[in-house]
Amino acid sequence: MKDRREFIFRFIVVTGAAVSSVLVLLVFFYILGESLIFFRTVSFPEFLFGSTWSPLSPKPEYSFLPMILATMYISLLATAIASPLSAGCALFLTFNSHKKISRFILSCIDMIAGIPSVIFGFIGLVVLVKFLERHLHMTAGESVLAGSILLSVMLFPYMVTGCAEAFENGKAKYYAASQSLGVSKWYTMRKIILPCASNAIFVNMLLAFSRAIGETMAVMMVTGNSPIFPKLLGRAETIPSLIALEMGTAEYKSIHYSSLYAAGLILIITVFFIQLAAHRLNSAGRRNTL
Amino acid sequence: MKKFNILSIILILMLVLAGCAPAEQPSQANPQESTQQPDSNNEQETDKFVPQILFNGSSTLAPVMASISTNFIEGFVTWDKVDASFPEENISIYVSAGGSGQGVKSVIDKTSDFGMIARTVKDSEKEKLTELKEFKVGVDALTLGVNPQNPVLTVKDNLTTDEIVKIFSGEFKTWKDLDSSLPDKEIIVITRDIGGGAHEVFQSKIMGDVQVKADAIQAPSMGALVTKIMENEYAIGYASFGVVNQNKGKVATLKVDGVEATKENILNGSYIIQRPLIALFSGELTAPQQVFMDYVMSPEGMEVVESMGFVPAK
Repeated sequence: MKDRREFIFRFIVVTGAAVSSVLVLLVFFYILGESLIFFRTVSFPEFLFGSTWSPLSPKPEYSFLPMILATMYISLLATAIASPLSAGCALFLTFNSHKKISRFILSCIDMIAGIPSVIFGFIGLVVLVKFLERHLHMTAGESVLAGSILLSVMLFPYMVTGCAEAFENGKAKYYAASQSLGVSKWYTMRKIILPCASNAIFVNMLLAFSRAIGETMAVMMVTGNSPIFPKLLGRAETIPSLIALEMGTAEYKSIHYSSLYAAGLILIITVFFIQLAAHRLNSAGRRNTL
Repeated sequence: MKKFNILSIILILMLVLAGCAPAEQPSQANPQESTQQPDSNNEQETDKFVPQILFNGSSTLAPVMASISTNFIEGFVTWDKVDASFPEENISIYVSAGGSGQGVKSVIDKTSDFGMIARTVKDSEKEKLTELKEFKVGVDALTLGVNPQNPVLTVKDNLTTDEIVKIFSGEFKTWKDLDSSLPDKEIIVITRDIGGGAHEVFQSKIMGDVQVKADAIQAPSMGALVTKIMENEYAIGYASFGVVNQNKGKVATLKVDGVEATKENILNGSYIIQRPLIALFSGELTAPQQVFMDYVMSPEGMEVVESMGFVPAK
């Protein structure tokens, strides 16, 4: 009886693992298969180093460069805005507030992660874009800046949770010792906790960055979706927005259709390498601090 | 406990099988499928009563169809109340939006019964749909919409085709380029996605071979486009006649070549930026499908089309 139960349990665990990994591979190969037509017809320098995206004009041009740059620009800026804020917030919650209060605040911050991204997009459209129009004297507030600010708010909960965990580990290890030596709290934070958590923070930033790259709806609503080279106060279109906007209407099995899959493939590969780097750094960091 | 385990194994097995399906689909040649399916469909039509009807396609027509079908379902509930010869089964009509292109695709792939499109059927599509039936439900026009605060309204209430082309192609960069008395503010051009039905109509009726400028804002839906016009006083975009009517007073429209977008001008064809709203069908309609389409084309159905701001076909 016990044997059988164990066997069933093992079966469930193994199938679960197999199914999820096979699914990931299937998705990858399906996208690769659909984008093959594109890679066969459009040359490598054209789609990576061209400057115009106009798949439906009489002389179609397919260049992902403006979109790739815009995706990187917006995601980097969003991570840059969110990182110091969330590290500071996590430090405060770990060291300066009462445990009960910080647990309550943390769960509130976690709730931000549960808000659907279209809601963020809508708030961004009617509040943030309007704000930029009024205060920066822009004729249209849709811009890289608007997208980055909005995205940084969405990244905030993930980064706070991640950083708080790292700081909590550091606190458990060194705080009692540093207090018994009479070192001030702020000095401990600055000179001991932050350096020892720096690796974890960086890994956190990488993960947040890869999450930012894939965000679609909210970014699509505030960046204006113009396939041009991104400027801080200019409009831009990210790869996920490009796919979301054009996939519904692209002619089935056409080069345009296939090119959108190719854009998706580029996105997947980018995220894959970032995740790989984060994983490597994380395990290296674990070994060093222990 | 044991039962639960077995259940979960079955569930997982189903998942595994479901996971296999997408891998097989692309390798199976599509033409084969399409030759096989109509046969089996015909058998179904004669043998079995199908209580549900599926619609898919244009996001402009979808809310209209959804509203008509809601009235139909609430009015009759079961099919036998519609016609005594039908069995007593609940009426179910599903309407999903995904763009005109998807509407045609779904009829070709047989994933839905009716396709909804907000443009004319292309010749290349007619070749794939052999027994095509078109139901013209109504007409939508694209109006040149601006914010009521836009200073252009104090100078002119009309744009010529040439001016529109220059505005949308980026030749006129600021409102001052259009008229020297207007402020030196950027013209914010808003379009729908370039592959969509609305843009296709605008491109062929107004722009011709000229491309819309690359830094135009692409709105993900007609609603978003009109919202942007209502929010930004220097914006201009091709707003759907229906959606503009739903937001009366918040969007101002300009005449095109001296013709105003009114019901009469749209119906008699003198307002040129217009497009038909069509429900497509391929093959022979089943009895319940016929009854529902009759209802759509009836005065009650047409009333809904009009109440949503479009021009009814009848």
